[in-house]
Amino acid sequence: MNNLKLFKRQSVNELATFYSFLIGFLIAIFIGSIILLIQDKNPFDTFSLMLRLSVGSVNSLSSSLNKAIPLILAGLGISIINSVKLWNIGAEGQIFLGAIAVNFVYINSQINNPTIHIFVLLIAGFIGGAICILIPAITKVAFGVNEIITTLLTNYIVIGITIYLINGPWKDPNSLNFPAAAYVGEEVFLPTIFGKLSFGFLICIFFTILAHYLKNKSVFGFEMRIAGGSAMTAVYAGINAKQKAFLAMLIGGGFAGLAGAIELLSQTHRVSTGISQGFGYTAIIVAAITGMRPLGIFLVGSLFGALSIGGSVIQTIGVSTYIADIIQASTLFGALIIQFFFNYQIRRVEND
Amino acid sequence: MNNYILEAKNISKSFGTIKALEDVNFYLEKGKIYGLLGENGAGKSSLMNILSGIYQPERGTIYINEQKQKSLNPESASKLGIGMVHQEFRLIESFSIKDNLTLSKSNIYKKNFYEAYNKYSEIFSLSVSPNKLINQLSVGEKQKIEIVKLIFKNSNIMLLDEPTAVLTPQETSQLKVSLERLSEEDEKTIVLISHKLKEIRDFTQKVFVMKNGRMVAEDLLTEDISDDELIELMMGNIQKSVIDKSNKIGKTKLSVKSINYIDRSNNLKILDDISLDISAGEILGVAGVSGNGQVELANIISGIETDFSGQILINERDVSRKGVRSRKKLNLSYIPENRLGVGLAPGVSVLDNSIVRDYFKTRLGPHLSKTKTETYLDGLINKFSIKAPDSKAEITTLSGGNMQKLLMGRELTSNPEVIIASQPTRGLDVNAVEAIHNLLIEQRDKGSAILLISEDLDELFKLSNRLHVMFEGKIIKSFHPGSADVNDIGLAMAGVIE
Repeated sequence: MNNLKLFKRQSVNELATFYSFLIGFLIAIFIGSIILLIQDKNPFDTFSLMLRLSVGSVNSLSSSLNKAIPLILAGLGISIINSVKLWNIGAEGQIFLGAIAVNFVYINSQINNPTIHIFVLLIAGFIGGAICILIPAITKVAFGVNEIITTLLTNYIVIGITIYLINGPWKDPNSLNFPAAAYVGEEVFLPTIFGKLSFGFLICIFFTILAHYLKNKSVFGFEMRIAGGSAMTAVYAGINAKQKAFLAMLIGGGFAGLAGAIELLSQTHRVSTGISQGFGYTAIIVAAITGMRPLGIFLVGSLFGALSIGGSVIQTIGVSTYIADIIQASTLFGALIIQFFFNYQIRRVEND
Repeated sequence: MNNYILEAKNISKSFGTIKALEDVNFYLEKGKIYGLLGENGAGKSSLMNILSGIYQPERGTIYINEQKQKSLNPESASKLGIGMVHQEFRLIESFSIKDNLTLSKSNIYKKNFYEAYNKYSEIFSLSVSPNKLINQLSVGEKQKIEIVKLIFKNSNIMLLDEPTAVLTPQETSQLKVSLERLSEEDEKTIVLISHKLKEIRDFTQKVFVMKNGRMVAEDLLTEDISDDELIELMMGNIQKSVIDKSNKIGKTKLSVKSINYIDRSNNLKILDDISLDISAGEILGVAGVSGNGQVELANIISGIETDFSGQILINERDVSRKGVRSRKKLNLSYIPENRLGVGLAPGVSVLDNSIVRDYFKTRLGPHLSKTKTETYLDGLINKFSIKAPDSKAEITTLSGGNMQKLLMGRELTSNPEVIIASQPTRGLDVNAVEAIHNLLIEQRDKGSAILLISEDLDELFKLSNRLHVMFEGKIIKSFHPGSADVNDIGLAMAGVIE
């Protein structure tokens, strides 16, 4: 009789995460193709159109990268928090609170130098995101409350606050009753660097390197890894595990808040419910696919940005934008399954 | 053909590239007590796990009651009467004894539970009510309940993995009587897995010996074979090193004064007025069954536990209110009992784990230099002959012995003033134990003051200059290993002092 059994592999290829992402992506394209075929659309035509409209010109490429900025920044935040083995499901809320903080500081401050003004507003966004995760961070460290639940719940609270603000105190009288805050002045718009590509992309590159350094090359990153590996080892080593977890959460929240600030200053220019289109959730997929590696998050985030742009333009030929979401989600599924095969092997066991 | 109740033929099993078992034969007659002897990693546990259906062998055949078994799984093995007591207890702590005993589907004492319970609690000298919760029992009582659980499950072949590891010498000799009665009165077949010669000799009628995944001796009559022969079978030749204890003793390096510690969660007094002094070049042994305050004492001296009263002096400097790091800066090293989970962080790389002690010494501001840390790890690997091929691999890819060597190396490489070593050799094979003993001796000769906490009396006798026995948070007696009687120490460990 033959039996199939799982064996954990002794050593795992260093590029396993990358390969599993690639294979996962192919699986996702395959699944997407089946769905397109069911709808009587030619997958090849659809995908080549998506490709052309997302990366085929300077304009489309820069739109794609703009879309990638919040995904990458929020994903980096998630990966930093995951260094201490905690999950941040609250990036969506942090993006919103980052944008709210930007608008709050914009309304309540008077800075004449636009460069300094933008700089202050970006910092405000970072702090807003950190404030958003403050309560989950405190309850986690002080009482051990599960951060997955609390960060998820703060999303609803913050989105509720956003809706209140844009329908109440911050409502723009000139918006023809559309619930949104007033636009910020053009002097604080983030400049573009080429095509439509926002200066935010450079910030994004800088923060990717920063996150990579923080996680992999710094003492803080080492202390986070030990604290995440075993709280007792951290105590034994004289590392304050709770402090590291707290800091990691605030920094991670700040990254997502910064995403909200950039989105406001470069895309929407005002607070509305359109600040984030689920970036905070997609960022979880991005971070998970890459095994929480900052450089990987940068690449996969860029690809997913292009996918969203591609997805939104193929509406013109009568294909639902959700095809992009399906591909993103199936990539994660595919990648996770393939990662499993990199970590384990299935062998036939003969027990006769 | 012999009437074997269980017969395993030519069993082979490998994990990855490691051959855990190679062509192993194992056979048991009904109603006898067997010993399965071997070093750690010899394959004893793998074989037992195959017999109890947890692992599937790659090759080989198993007969139970002369029936060929096609594929065993834990459920079918249990139905066929094979039961195992693992080293870690598998009792439900918040359930009563009765619930734990009757939990199994194959419980045979549904109607006459109390009758059966009384019978077996008499055999095991258990004097607790079956309604008591498991978490109120002592370790020794839990061990007995584990064995009684097998009886209630109608296991006729009882595999006991190191059942005496947690018992006092008195409890051990009592267990011997209980097991003998089980084999005589109930015709239970019992396999005692151990690497302690004395127990194999005391407990068993026949013995199997394993080495490196092979059965090197089958079905020997225990009384016919000498200790020396068994040792040689088990590990080839090793030289019994005699430790010279005439080394020079210097001034006091660690001084602990009237430590009291109360566990706030249940107001239990864990440490009661503990005082001790250790001088340079001295190993002070602390004997005691685990759970008598040793872990807490080590944690307090190393600075992990801060909520205590009393005084700790390192080289005459009061560090009672200092944290872990400032004690490390005074060059105190702590080798914790829990290697993985305290000393080493699971899920983290070998490299990261290797620098846990000294990273803050070599740091450059916020930067952790990769070249420096890798040089540091290479240094440890060479100096302490650690087998760690991939520095980026997760720590648990190392074997237990290599993990402990990495931990010891990390803690010892800076020639510490004071070393606290808690159960440094537990669960390691003979070669690793020898290596670690040598490290401690070498460190002693370099002038470290060493506190050695252990349950292994052989180890304590071999290494210590002086010996304290801890019982229920007190040092109840002190001995000099040169002149002490093992039985007195065993009694003291059980709390008996005349």
